[in-house]
Amino acid sequence: MSDLKIAVIVKLEPDFSEGNVSYNADGTLNRAETKSILGPHSAVASSAAFYAKVKYGARIAVTTMGPPIADTALQQAQLLCDADELHLYSDRMFAGADTLATAEVLKTGISKVEGGKMDIVFSGHRASDGETGQTGPQTAWKLGFTFLGNVIDYNVDMQNRVVRARRMISLQGFYDVIEEVEAPLPVFIAIDPSYKASFNTVSQRLAFEKYQKEAKERAQNYKQYLKIFNAQQLGVDPKLVGLPGSPTIVYKVERIPKAKASRKAEVVDGSSRDQIAKVAAKMYEVLGGMVIK
Amino acid sequence: MESYEVAIIGGGSAGLAALKQLSNLGKQAILIEAGKKAGTKNVSGGILYSKKPKRGRAYNVEDVYGSVFLSDAPIERRITQYMLHATSGNKVFTMDLTAAHEYQANFGYSVLLGKLNSWFAKQAGESAEKQGGGIVSGVHVRSVSWQDGKTVIETDELEPFEAKAVIAADGVNSEIAEMTGARNKFTPEQLYQGVKVIVKMPEEIIEERFGIGQEDGAAHLYAGDVTLNHIGGGFLYTNRDTLSVGAVYHYDSLMQRPAEPYTLVNALLKNPMVAEFVKDEVAVKEEIDRNLPKEEQLRVRFAVSKLVKTWNELRDAYHSPSARKRLVEGGKYKSEEEIKARLDSVRSELEGKYRTKFVTDYVELEYAAKLVPDGKRCAMRKPYYKNILFIGDAAGRGVFIGPRIEGLNVGIDDAVRAANAVARAIDRNDFSSNSMGEHYSQMIEESPFTRDMKEIDKDYLKIFLDAAKDVPKDIIGQRYGMVFKLMSSGTLRGLAVGFANILGYDRLLPLVESEDTYVQVPIELAEKMGRPVAATYEPTLPTIAQRVAQLKYDDDRISHIKVLDHESEFMKKMVKLCPTNCYSMEDGEITLQHEACIECGTCAKETEWRHPRGEKGVNYQYG
Ligand SMILES: Cc1cc2nc3c(=O)[nH]c(=O)nc-3n(C[C@H](O)[C@H](O)[C@H](O)COP(=O)(O)OP(=O)(O)OC[C@H]3O[C@@H](n4cnc5c(N)ncnc54)[C@H](O)[C@@H]3O)c2cc1C
Ligand code: SF4
Repeated sequence: MSDLKIAVIVKLEPDFSEGNVSYNADGTLNRAETKSILGPHSAVASSAAFYAKVKYGARIAVTTMGPPIADTALQQAQLLCDADELHLYSDRMFAGADTLATAEVLKTGISKVEGGKMDIVFSGHRASDGETGQTGPQTAWKLGFTFLGNVIDYNVDMQNRVVRARRMISLQGFYDVIEEVEAPLPVFIAIDPSYKASFNTVSQRLAFEKYQKEAKERAQNYKQYLKIFNAQQLGVDPKLVGLPGSPTIVYKVERIPKAKASRKAEVVDGSSRDQIAKVAAKMYEVLGGMVIK
Repeated sequence: MESYEVAIIGGGSAGLAALKQLSNLGKQAILIEAGKKAGTKNVSGGILYSKKPKRGRAYNVEDVYGSVFLSDAPIERRITQYMLHATSGNKVFTMDLTAAHEYQANFGYSVLLGKLNSWFAKQAGESAEKQGGGIVSGVHVRSVSWQDGKTVIETDELEPFEAKAVIAADGVNSEIAEMTGARNKFTPEQLYQGVKVIVKMPEEIIEERFGIGQEDGAAHLYAGDVTLNHIGGGFLYTNRDTLSVGAVYHYDSLMQRPAEPYTLVNALLKNPMVAEFVKDEVAVKEEIDRNLPKEEQLRVRFAVSKLVKTWNELRDAYHSPSARKRLVEGGKYKSEEEIKARLDSVRSELEGKYRTKFVTDYVELEYAAKLVPDGKRCAMRKPYYKNILFIGDAAGRGVFIGPRIEGLNVGIDDAVRAANAVARAIDRNDFSSNSMGEHYSQMIEESPFTRDMKEIDKDYLKIFLDAAKDVPKDIIGQRYGMVFKLMSSGTLRGLAVGFANILGYDRLLPLVESEDTYVQVPIELAEKMGRPVAATYEPTLPTIAQRVAQLKYDDDRISHIKVLDHESEFMKKMVKLCPTNCYSMEDGEITLQHEACIECGTCAKETEWRHPRGEKGVNYQYG
């Protein structure tokens, strides 16, 4: 067990996977009907933290700001990263927060975990329910941590206490450029959705199995690991959180008009040989046009 | 480089027992298994025995896993009936071999390795973890080599690591044995090819049909015309709510008269007695009216599929005391009658609304195949190489003599001996072949199973002959003449066995394991003395394409098998002998499509044969 300390910021989000979303007649999300789950980007952030657990035996705290039911997001994150602690910041006073006010709560909360001595804070790339990807950087800024965004891979040099990370960025008009950076701890890492942990030694695989099993057991009894903080317990400045702390207001959300399809589809009934031959001929025709001779 | 005391390669029933035993002894060990999870790559018949030999001792499954084995392990049924049937057409002559099955046995349970090996892995993994070891699955060992006095293990997935001792439990197609030169690849004379299908059948219907109690099981063996003139035979074992039906044939006999392996299982399934055993009620969906609007066709298709699924699940539950109880106690149904009522209503809805027919047929769940090493002919004399100890199928060990089929328990016994030898080596810090290897080899020599692989046990023979006492002497006499006369006389039997053992198994086996024994004599017996059995239906046999389509694979782009000679006579035979038709002949050349490969090893002899990379290839559910 090393002394690496990690916090993961997660978010409860509507389940946008097929069949689970429900919309109101006006096209807005029907939050009451739509199930909520741990957001997909939060799940990636949790997996990234689990990597540090497996590789460095890190201690992990998962945190979120949200209503009391957001504890399910914490539970699902714990299943992914075998968290040692789950923190829920929940207070009516936090309602209506924009990214900056959210960042204030998260910063205050994170400073409370482990006596404020965090080494790495992970967040997802962004949330999928209308967030703009700013909570992460803003929290990092408030914490005074080095911010590393779009991280696809990282390792910690425990001796020198530095992080080496690879970032997927666009540079001078080129997309998917991989940049390697090094930063002293503490850092704030916003993890790229394409992140995938790989464990390539026997000891890591054994640790992986062990912690995964532990995670399953812990997540089943997640309430034992859960601490809920209200505004007072956190000791936040009421002026900096919730609506009062939010300089941005969402004025109007517009539906993106559906683009008109420029391709024409032809339906061919595949019941006979001739029909299939027709499809094959069509494909041949189209593909033929694509071959560079 | 990471370093471990012991590395076990292969997580079949043998490798897992070695891990458990080493952990029991307080030693650290890791086990590397190529399959995604333990139990996804293993195939058996199978009956797992626990034995109590008169001479020497056997290390049994319950010695390794403790009493939880009997109370908690997913074992299917305790086999209490063991029958041998001689077949010809619709005639069957039956001998009761239950006494031979019970010979020196504490028990024999039917098992499915998918479930059982996964349970073994849980037990062994948890114990190993306490010693700083454990199971790493989804990793394929590529090589074992010796560098600067260190034993280095390389895999396709992980960084190389070191181990002081290695236990090779990588099965009949052991790459470790081959790459180190510890033994040659097995030849067709040394192997059987086993092919098996799992048949679905509700629990209580099994009990009723086979005339067995709730905990009991039946085993039926077949020889005669079902062999299609090959040396070997068929088997049918009852599991909790499935049947294992398979065929095991001597590989060289298949080489002489190549037949597609599935035709051998099919021949068995078509036998009227087997057909009657496997039959069940099956829902056959009516063709959907093509004149209906497209959406309506879709709707009907979904509705029917869903109802058929419900009917099947509910029917299985209704015929299972534990599932029935669960449904009622769980509050889903008020009573058993209510389950029955619902079952009937689903059925009549299917019949009435969707014109689904309910017919007599049988349902296959899984097709599998694997080579089996014939221990009498291929057990390694000294099952070690440097600091590697070979166990189970990897060491070519198993007792297969007539109706005696034992590979699982032999592998477990080997595992204990290997683990004990390694533990001793750790204590002495001496892993040399002279010390650890020789010690293990000596312990293997003491194993009662080693004796059974070398010589005839006259007590077992007596039981067998007693069972065959109704067989007219003239059928057997004209073939085995002198030998039989000697054998059937109590006083002379001892002499005869002694003489036979002096003659040696090698010279005796071709005589005993012959077409006469497995084909002609049973056919004659059935014709002269058999009772007629009529089948009430004709089973619909799936095609091999349908059987392959039912299997689950993790496709690998890269083929794990390389054909070396595309024109050799051996490879040409693979077109027929590959159980999943992976080989075909194009313009006089053999080509391989590895995607459907089920890793049986049949083509290994003349190919560059590897197991697929970690997690890749076939994933058996039942095994
Ligand atoms: C049809 C049939 C019927 C049988 N009936 C019976 C019966 O009734 N009773 C009985 O006792 N026995 C029976 N046997 C024999 C018995 O099933 C085998 O002896 C037994 O399963 C062998 O176990 P094992 O652990 O030695 O090998 P396996 O079960 O083959 O295990 C080897 C393991 O090693 C892994 N592996 C291989 N290479 C590597 C590598 N390079 N790296 C990592 N992992 C690797 C494989 O994935 C596999 O899991 C039957 C066999 C067959 C095929
Ligand atoms: S390709 Fe070879 S190993 Fe694979 S199923 Fe066919 S015969 Fe068996």
